[in-house]
Amino acid sequence: MNGTSKTAKAEQQTKVIESPGINLKIISLISMIIFFALWESVVRMGFIEPLFLPAPSAIVRRASIMLERNDFSVHILASARRVLVGFGLAALVAIPAGIILGTSRLAKAIFDPLLSFLRPLPSMSWIPLSLLWLGITEWQKYSIVFMGSLAPSILYTVEATRNIDPVLIRAAKNLGASKIQVMKDVVLPGALPSIIAGLKVMMGIAWTCVISAELVAASNGLGFLIMNGKEMFQTDTVLLGMALISITVLITDMVLNRVEKILLPWRDG
Amino acid sequence: MAIIQVDNVTKVFSSNKGKDTTALKNVDLKVEEGEFFVIVGASGCGKTTLINMIAGFEQPTGGTILHHGEPVLGVDPRCGMVFQQYALFPWKTVIENIEFGLKLKGVTFRERRQQVQKYIKMVGLDDFENSYPKQLSGGMKQRVSIARALANNTDVMLMDEPFSALDAMTRQVMQEELMRIYQESSKTIIFITHSIDEALLLSTRLVVMTSRPGRIKKTIINDLPWPRNSSMQLMDRYQQLKSSIWDSVQEEVIKSAGINYQTVD
Repeated sequence: MNGTSKTAKAEQQTKVIESPGINLKIISLISMIIFFALWESVVRMGFIEPLFLPAPSAIVRRASIMLERNDFSVHILASARRVLVGFGLAALVAIPAGIILGTSRLAKAIFDPLLSFLRPLPSMSWIPLSLLWLGITEWQKYSIVFMGSLAPSILYTVEATRNIDPVLIRAAKNLGASKIQVMKDVVLPGALPSIIAGLKVMMGIAWTCVISAELVAASNGLGFLIMNGKEMFQTDTVLLGMALISITVLITDMVLNRVEKILLPWRDG
Repeated sequence: MAIIQVDNVTKVFSSNKGKDTTALKNVDLKVEEGEFFVIVGASGCGKTTLINMIAGFEQPTGGTILHHGEPVLGVDPRCGMVFQQYALFPWKTVIENIEFGLKLKGVTFRERRQQVQKYIKMVGLDDFENSYPKQLSGGMKQRVSIARALANNTDVMLMDEPFSALDAMTRQVMQEELMRIYQESSKTIIFITHSIDEALLLSTRLVVMTSRPGRIKKTIINDLPWPRNSSMQLMDRYQQLKSSIWDSVQEEVIKSAGINYQTVD
């Protein structure tokens, strides 16, 4: 008797442990539906002026108009390209620089003051200078993204090199590795998981850089879409632009997670 | 000429607070080619410091270490190290770990894959070539580490308590395999342990170290017959050697543990 009740209890417990994954997803879905339904009805009942906050249905309508005119892809691609180029260049500089700074005390001593100076500067603060130097060009946008993400990316990489087990570096030297081989074959792959984790965070920052650059001076891109919507009193366009930024960043994150899995096959089971 | 000669070596570690610790004091050793040389000592006696200096990871404060008569001034790639914590590259597969030394030397892919096969077979990892270290047990990881050192074909193999992280049964299997590998490869091996049984099972010659500061207390030529296995522990000669080692080790363990057996009258 006692035995059976125990197994029944255990079964119940496993059920409780198994189910929350599904239940929580359903709860999230319901909460989202309720949120949008409330929003829609509050606007429809006239509590809120649509110019202030249009209903979700108005945003969807705007989205379908833009989809028909093919405006969507233009703005998304413009912003995405700026992030890709600016952030790609920053990563190309930051990863080798971070590895050198992380492994050489001399290099660190030389560049530390400059880095400490650059790091606190928000990307927005580069906009006036970049406009002065490069005008309203694509390279001006790239440079904003580049400057906004360079210093933090370097610091992430330096930190990542610190997490490597020093015995691995010893082992490589013992097998005959030169200093450069240690950096390329041990420090880089050993730091890669933390570097990728850092770059994922940086990617979000790169997006804020490009949006702020486009808010100030651009003729396309998601930041421009928002600003332009406001100028033309199309609040639904503004909200649509914001939603698109969110969705694009989420998708980029998913892509990066996939890339991470491909680059780091040794981390799974 | 001795392959490795430790000549009057002293090592002092100085901390930031200005407090100096003497890890080793006036150590003299000579290891001849083909020897299985075991260093036995209680924990904290500086035996790891000694092997790290032979490998060139650390430099002596006083005295010199010679490899084939030349002083060791930096990391010495002629001494292959097997680390207690395996030190395998987690992002490399078993075969990539083993061939890494050859790759560093610029040996072509096809040639090094051919060369490492022998060592993969020697340590019995045929079916795990493409596994990552994370997927292996402790014993298997240490086999990879041994194969990696063997594949690099150095004249000396340094082993710093390689089996101390393994369970007792795996350890015994690994010891027997190491004896077989030693006889097959005729390498010079310098092996550190705190286990007297392990020292007696493996060594051709062994030294006992004192507690800190570490010094050589006793040298014993291990004349137990080869091939050896664990049943040898029943031999009279084994018992004799063991008790003579234990006598000198015991004193040091007591000293380093700070136990005072003196009777007050």
